Amino acid sequence: MFTTGSKLLIGSSALALVATLLFGILDGGLLGSVGLISATVALSVLAGINVFTRDANVGSDEVESFGGAAAASNRPGASMWPFTIGLAATTITLGLVTYTAIFVLGLILLMAGLAEWLVQAWAERASAETGHNSEVRARMLHPAEMPAGAAIGLGVVIYAFSRVMLGLPSKTSTIVAFSVVASIVLAIGSFIGSRRSISAPAMTGGFAIAAVVLVSGGAVAGLNGEREIEEHNTTAYYAAKGECGAEEISADEHASQTVAGKASSAAEIFLTETGTIEFQMPGDPSRRSDALQLPRSNPNNLLMRNESSEPRRFVIDLAEGYEGSPPRMCTQIIEEGGVQLLTVKFAVPSFAPEVEAVGGYRFTVPGVDSASLEVVVP
Amino acid sequence: MITPRRLIAAVAGAILLSSCASDAPQDTWKPAGENAQMIHDLQWPIFMVAGIVGVIVLAFIAWIVVKFRDRGQAMPEQTHGKAWLEYLFIAIPAVILTTIAIPTVGVVMALADTDDTECIINVTGQQWWWEYDYPVAADGTICGFTPSVAEASPIITSGQVVIPTGTKVLLRGTSRDVIHSYWIPRLNGKRDMVPGRVHYLRLQSDTPGIYAGQCTEFCGLSHANMRMETIALEPADFQRWLDNELEPYTAPDEGTLAAEGEATYIAQCARCHQVNGLVDDRGTDDPSDDSLVVSYPDQFVYSGAAPNLTNLMGRNTFAGATYDLLTDECRADVWEADPSEFGDRYLEGVTEDCLNEIELREWLRNSPAKKPMYADPEMLSETDGKTRGMPYLALSEDQIDQLIAYLLERK
Repeated sequence: MFTTGSKLLIGSSALALVATLLFGILDGGLLGSVGLISATVALSVLAGINVFTRDANVGSDEVESFGGAAAASNRPGASMWPFTIGLAATTITLGLVTYTAIFVLGLILLMAGLAEWLVQAWAERASAETGHNSEVRARMLHPAEMPAGAAIGLGVVIYAFSRVMLGLPSKTSTIVAFSVVASIVLAIGSFIGSRRSISAPAMTGGFAIAAVVLVSGGAVAGLNGEREIEEHNTTAYYAAKGECGAEEISADEHASQTVAGKASSAAEIFLTETGTIEFQMPGDPSRRSDALQLPRSNPNNLLMRNESSEPRRFVIDLAEGYEGSPPRMCTQIIEEGGVQLLTVKFAVPSFAPEVEAVGGYRFTVPGVDSASLEVVVP
Repeated sequence: MITPRRLIAAVAGAILLSSCASDAPQDTWKPAGENAQMIHDLQWPIFMVAGIVGVIVLAFIAWIVVKFRDRGQAMPEQTHGKAWLEYLFIAIPAVILTTIAIPTVGVVMALADTDDTECIINVTGQQWWWEYDYPVAADGTICGFTPSVAEASPIITSGQVVIPTGTKVLLRGTSRDVIHSYWIPRLNGKRDMVPGRVHYLRLQSDTPGIYAGQCTEFCGLSHANMRMETIALEPADFQRWLDNELEPYTAPDEGTLAAEGEATYIAQCARCHQVNGLVDDRGTDDPSDDSLVVSYPDQFVYSGAAPNLTNLMGRNTFAGATYDLLTDECRADVWEADPSEFGDRYLEGVTEDCLNEIELREWLRNSPAKKPMYADPEMLSETDGKTRGMPYLALSEDQIDQLIAYLLERK
C-alpha cells in the first residue's frame, strides 16, 4: 500500500512527533519545541506529498508496468547536491568548534542542499520527458532560488565594493573611485542601450569579468584592512562621560544622532553677552532667567547656545550615586555663537536632601561668575 | 433562517444603532472646546462629501452588477481607452481633494499655533499612565493663576489633568519609555508622545466637566488600560484646586489607623511613590532635613517614575485612570453634575463614604492581577529587574486597612 519513500517519511514524522511530545513534557523549552513541531509538520507534509505521488514510480510488485514506467526510462543526471551536503556537514562540524555563525551557515547550506536534492530527484522521475521534468523542477524551485540567488549576489557585490571603498587611502580617493566606477557603469549601460542587439556571450563575458574584478578587488582590499578612520564622537558622548576639564575635545556637533534632539528640544539655554544664563521653552516665546523646570527620570535634550564673545562650556552638578546620573555633566567648549546639544537626566527631584546639599541643580559656566541658572525638578 | 440579506440587514442595523449610544464620553462628534470644534467643522463636511461619493460609487456598482449580470447573453465588444472619460475621472477627484485640502491645511496650521497660549502644562507618558506637572512661570503664576502661597512649587499629579475653562492650554508632552499618544476626543485630535522629543497639544474647554481620553498608540501589555481624563473647572474653582494642591503636607493624628498607614506607606510605597512634604519619624518637616522621604522610582521602575500621591484623593481615578476612586453612585454625581455645580462636586474629592474601596483594595492586594503589568520575574530580564508598572507587594490585610486610612487623608 505504502511506497518505500512514504514509509520512510511517515516513520520520520512519527519519530519527530514523539520527540516533540517527549521534549515538550520533559524539557518544555520554547525554541526546541518550535523546532521539533516545525520538523513534524514539514515531514508530515512531505509524507503526504509522497503518498500522493507514490514515489513518482509504480509499485515494485507491478512487474509489467515497472519496465515500461516513465520514471524508469531516464537515468538520473549529474547532481551537485550530494557535494553541497557534504560541504554543509563539514561546515557544521567546523562551526561547532569555531564560531556560531559558521555553524548556522552550514545548517542553512544543509537545508538548501537537501531541499534541492529532494526536488531534483523527484523531478527527474516525474515523467519520461526530460524537458518536462526540467520544467517541473524549475517551477518548484525557481521561486526560492531566484530571490535567494539575487540576495546572495547583491550581498557579495555590496560587501566587496564596501571593502574596496574602505580600503582606499583617503575619503577623497573613495569619492573619485566611486565617481569613476559609476561613470563606467553608466557608459557601459548607455552603450548596451544604444545597440540594437548584443550577443549573449558578450554580455556574459562582460559581467563575468566585472564580477571577477569586483570580488578579487574586494578580497584584496579586505585582506589589506580598512584605512584609519578618525573617530567623531558626539557632544552627548563626552557629556555622558563627564569629561568636563579645561581641555578642548573635538566633538562632532553635526553627528546624525543629535539631529532628532535638536529638532525637538526640552529647552534652549543661552549664555548671554552680559554673562547671564537665560532659557526659552517650547510654547513660551519669552526668554527667562528665573528657574528652568524639567521633568524627572527623563532624558532632557537641551540646546546650549553661547552668545558671549568667548568660547565657553556649560556645567551642571547632579546628585551622585543614582543610576543614569553621572556626578557632573557638561558641554564641550562651545565657540562664540555656537550651539551644542546636551542630554541631561535627573534621577532625583531637586528637593531631595542630597541635591539640596550641593546647592540644588544649577547650570554654571566656568570663568563666568554671574552665569548661574537654577533647574527645578519636581 | 438566516439568509444573507437578513445577515446584512442585521449588521447594518447594529452599526446604525451603535451611533445612538448615549453614554459615549469619547465621542468625536461632540466637541467641547475651540480646537475640537475646528476639527468637527472640518470633518463634518468632509464626511458628508465622502459619504455622498461612497453612496454614488456603490449605487453605480450595484446598478452595473444587476444590469449586466450573466443571463447567457453573448460577450459584448471589448473596448479600451476613452480619453475624455479618463481625464474626467482624474479631474473630479483632483477637484474634490483640492477642495478638502485647502481648509484642512488651514485647520492643521491653526491647531499648531502656540502664540496665544495662556496656560502651559507638561505631560509625560509612561507605561501605563500619564503624569502632569504645572510649571511655575517667571511671575510666580501657575497656569496663569496666582497661588495663595508665597513661593509656589510646581504641582505634579497624574491620571487627571485639571484645566480652567475658557483658557487656551498648551500641553507640552513627551514620554519616558515608548511612544504613547494623547487623545481627548472632545477637546482635540491625537498627538504622539515620543521619547526624547517634545510635542505640543492645545486643549480648551468651554464647559466645566470631565472629558475622557485614551492612549491611542499601542504601548505594551496594558495599553488598553492607559486612560486619561481632563477636568475643566471654572476659573474660581481652578483657583481653589490650585491652592489646595499647594497646601503643605498634613500628617495624620498620632495613634490613628492613618498614622499607622503613614508608616506602612513609608516602608512599602515611598521608594517609588512621592508624597510631597512627607517626613519620616527621625526629624522635622524642614526640607533641608534628611528625614524628608524621597522616592527613587528610577531604581525600581523601568520608566523611572511612579505617580505622585500627594493629593491622590483630590482626583477620582487611580492606576492610570483605569479605575475610579469613587463608587458608581458618587461617580455619577460628579460626571452628571450640572456645569454650574460641577466644580463643587469635583473639589469634594473622595470621601470615606464615596471611596471605591473594593477596587482599591484589590489593587493594593495584587495590582498586576488588576492591570496586566509584566509581573513575571522571568520577563524582567530585559529591564534589569525593574518592573513595568506596580509590582505585587504581598501586603497583609492590616497593612491595606492602614494604607487606605492614610490615603483617604491625601487631598
